[in-house]
Amino acid sequence: MSASSPLIETSHLVKKFGEKLAVNDVTFTVNAGEVFGFLGPNGAGKTTTIKAIVGLLRPTSGTVSVAGYDVQLQPMQAKAASGFVPDTPNLYMKLSARELLRFVGDLYELKREKVEERSDELLRLFDLTDARDDLIDSYSHGMKQKIALAAALIHDPKVLVLDEPTVGLDPKSARLIKDMLRQLADRGAAVFLSTHILEIAERMCDRIGIIDRGNLIAVGTMEQLRASGAGERSLEDIFLSLTGGAEEAAIAEVLK
Amino acid sequence: MTSAAAAAGWKEPFHPERSLIRHVWKLLRLQLAITWSTFRAARLRRKIGTIIVALLVLIFAGAVFAGSWLLLGLLRSPELAQILAEQNQPSLTPFLETVPVLILAGSFLGILLTSFGVLLSALYLSGDLDFLMAAPVPIRAVFVAKQLQAILPNFGFIALFGLPVLFGLGASGGYNLLYYPMVVIVLALLALAAAGASSLLVMGVARIFPPRRVAEVIGAVGAIFSIICSQSGNFINAMRLDEQNLGPDQIPFAAITRFNAAWNPLSWPGRGLVELGEARILPALFFLGITIALTGGLFLLSLQVAERVYYSGWASMQAGGRKKRTAPKVRHPGAVPAGTAAPVRTGAAAAFFAEFIPQPVMGMIRKDLLTLRRDPRNMGQLITPLIVGFMYLFIIFRPGGLPLEGRGEAPDWFMQLIETGMMYSNIGISLFVGWSLISRLGMMGFSQEGKNYWMLKTAPVGPVRLLMGKLLVAYLPGLVMSSLLMVIISLVRGVSIPVLLFGLAVVALSIVGAAGINVAFGVVGVNLTWDDPRKMNPGLSGCFSMLLSFLYMGVSVVLFFGPPMLLSAFGLPELAGQVIGLLLGGAFSLGCAVISLGLVKNRVPRIGES
Repeated sequence: MSASSPLIETSHLVKKFGEKLAVNDVTFTVNAGEVFGFLGPNGAGKTTTIKAIVGLLRPTSGTVSVAGYDVQLQPMQAKAASGFVPDTPNLYMKLSARELLRFVGDLYELKREKVEERSDELLRLFDLTDARDDLIDSYSHGMKQKIALAAALIHDPKVLVLDEPTVGLDPKSARLIKDMLRQLADRGAAVFLSTHILEIAERMCDRIGIIDRGNLIAVGTMEQLRASGAGERSLEDIFLSLTGGAEEAAIAEVLK
Repeated sequence: MTSAAAAAGWKEPFHPERSLIRHVWKLLRLQLAITWSTFRAARLRRKIGTIIVALLVLIFAGAVFAGSWLLLGLLRSPELAQILAEQNQPSLTPFLETVPVLILAGSFLGILLTSFGVLLSALYLSGDLDFLMAAPVPIRAVFVAKQLQAILPNFGFIALFGLPVLFGLGASGGYNLLYYPMVVIVLALLALAAAGASSLLVMGVARIFPPRRVAEVIGAVGAIFSIICSQSGNFINAMRLDEQNLGPDQIPFAAITRFNAAWNPLSWPGRGLVELGEARILPALFFLGITIALTGGLFLLSLQVAERVYYSGWASMQAGGRKKRTAPKVRHPGAVPAGTAAPVRTGAAAAFFAEFIPQPVMGMIRKDLLTLRRDPRNMGQLITPLIVGFMYLFIIFRPGGLPLEGRGEAPDWFMQLIETGMMYSNIGISLFVGWSLISRLGMMGFSQEGKNYWMLKTAPVGPVRLLMGKLLVAYLPGLVMSSLLMVIISLVRGVSIPVLLFGLAVVALSIVGAAGINVAFGVVGVNLTWDDPRKMNPGLSGCFSMLLSFLYMGVSVVLFFGPPMLLSAFGLPELAGQVIGLLLGGAFSLGCAVISLGLVKNRVPRIGES
C-alpha cells in the first residue's frame, strides 16, 4: 500500500438517533502516513463519527472503510487493521496491565511470544513496567489512558483512531504520545484523532477536518484552511469563525 | 464588602444563609428533585407500578397497625390473663413491655449496620462531596444532609414496620397520648445516633482500606448474609430444631424478656416509652431523658468529629502499610528482568483446551474467569445459587436417600423403577446445582462486560466466537461444579462406577443446553450501563431465562433417565437404556443450545449500539 493510499474512507456517512441527526453526509479520507485531526464543538458529531469508523455504531446510511475493508461488510478485516483509544478509558479493572495486553493479543490472534515482547516494549515505553502486575483498578486516569493506548498498539495497527487522547495526561506523557503518533504516521500508518486542544491539532496534524452540528464544514491542510477563511491565521481563529465562537457582547453580558 | 471584592467589581455582596436547617433543606431538596425527575422520566408502566407499590405499602402498614392492635389487645385481655393464671402459666405482661424495647433496639442496630454501606457510598463514592464542600454551604449542613440521605430509606422501612406495631401497642394498652409523638421522636433520635456512629466507622474503615474495595466486600457479604437468612427457615426445618426439647429457660419468651434489663442501654428507649405510656412520669423522664441525652450527644459528637477528620484530610488519607493489590506474577526458573519477554504461564488444562478452542475464545474465558474471581461483588452473586443449591442438596440428603421401607402391594417393576430413580437422583442433584450456577453465569455473560464492551466490539471477533466464549464461560464452571458434586455424592452413597460414568456424561451434555438458553437470553436482555454488578441482571428476560431453562432441565432429565429406568423396570439391560438416554438427551441438549444461540446470533453485532 503506497504512502498516499487512503486507509480511512467515509462516504456520505449519516447517523441518526431517532429523529436527531448526529452526523450528516460526512465524506473524507485519511491517507497512509497522515495524521488527521478531527475538530468540532461539543456535541458536533466527532465521537459518533469515530464510533462508526471503528465499528461501534452502525451508520444509518453511507459507508465507512478501513484499510480498504468496508466496516459493515468486512468487519473482521477492518477491525484487525485498526486500533482504537476511546475518550474514557473503560478497561477491565480487575485485570493487571500485563493480563489486559495478553487478552487483547488473544483477541487479535497474535502469537504469545509476540504479545509478551510487544507488551514489555509498550509498558517500558509508557513507563508502566513497575505497575504491570498491579490491577488497573489502582491506576490513575493517565495510567489508564496509557494502557488503553498500549492495548490499541499491541497488534501494530495500520489505522489508529483516538478520541481525545491527551486528556488527563501529564505534559511528559502527552508529549510522548504526540511523538509516537507522528512516528506511527511516518512509518505508514493513518492516525485519526479528535481533540479539543487546537495547539496539538495545529502542530501535529497533516490535515484537519472540522465538524459542526453533524456537518463536515472544512477539510484540508492548515494552509488550505487559512486560504479558505477570511484572513484568520491561527487554527483557533479559523475554528471559531467556522463554528461560531462566543461573541464579545455575549461574554460581557454574562460577566457584567 | 471587602476592598478586594469591590476592586474586582462585585456589585452585590454575598449574604450566606445563617440557618443550618435551611442549608440542610436546600441539599435535601436536591435529592428530592432527583427522585421526582427520575419518577417523571420513567415509562408510564413503571410510574403506575410505583404508585401501586406505594399504595400496597400503605395498606400493609395499616394492616400491621390493625393486626397489632387486635393481637396485642387480645394478649392484654383480662380473660386471657385469667386463663393463663388458671393454668399456672407466666403472665404475658413482661413480654408485651419488651416489644417496644426490641423494636427500638433492633431499629438502632439495623440502621447502624445498613447505613454503613450507604454512608460509604455517600461520603466516598458518590463524588459530589468535594463539590458540595466547595460551595458556600456550611460543612455541617453537608454532613447532616449526607447522614439524613443515608438513613432516610432505612428509617422509612423500619418506621413502616415498627411504627404500626408501636402505635398498635399503645392503642391496645390505652397508653397516654404523649406516648405517640414520643415514639416518633425517639425512633428518629436513635436513627440519627446510629447514622452518626456509622459515619465515624466508615471514615475509620476508609482510612485503612480503599472505599471501593470495602463497598465490594460489603456487597458480597450482604448477598451471602441475605441468602443465608432467607434460607435459614429451610435449614432449621431440615435440622428439625423445632422438634428438639427446650428447657424452661430456653423458652423464647424468657430469653426475650431478659433483654429488657435496666442495665442494658439498648432497653432504655423502649422502657422509657412504656413508662410514659403507662403514665409513670418519673421513671419515664429518667429513661427518656437519658435516651435523648445519649442519642443527641452521640449524633452531635459524631458530626463534629466527622467534620474535623474529613476537613483535616485524615479520613481521605490511606494509612501506611496497605498492601497494593497485584495480579499473580509470572514465576519461572530464572528471574525475568523488566523489559524482557516472560514466558506465559499456562496450566495443563488451559493448554489442552487451547488445542481445540480458538485463541480469542480462550482469551475471553481466561479474562472472564479472572475478573469474576477478583470482584467480590460478582462472587456475591455467584455464591447465591450455590448456597441455594447446597441447601436443597442438604435437605434432600438428610433423610438418607434410601427407598422407603416396606413395599406394600407395589409390583416388582414399580419397586425397580423407584430404586433406579433413587440412584439417578444423585445425578439430578448435581444437575440442579450446576443449573443454578450456569443460569447466573449465562445470563450475565454479555452484561458483565459493561462499559468495557467496546474492547470486544472493536476487536476482530465475530458473533459466533463471542457466543462460544460466553457459552464456555458459563458452561465450564458449571461442569466442574456439577462433576465434583457428582463424584462426592457417588462416593458417599456408594454408587457404581458405570452409573457414575453415565452421570458424568449426562451432566456434561445436559448443562450445555441450559448454558445455551441462558446465554441467549443474556443477549436479548443485555445491560451494559450498570455501575454495580448487582444491578446488571436483566429483568424480564432474566425471569424467562430461569423459567425456560428450568423447563428445559426437566425435559432433559426425562430424556436422559427415562430410557434406562423403563428398560430396567421391565428387566431389560439398563446399559442399553443409558445409551438411548444419552443419545436422546444429548441430541435434545445440543439442539437447544445451538438453536437458542442461533436465534440471537444476529443480535450480537448490534449489542451496545442503542
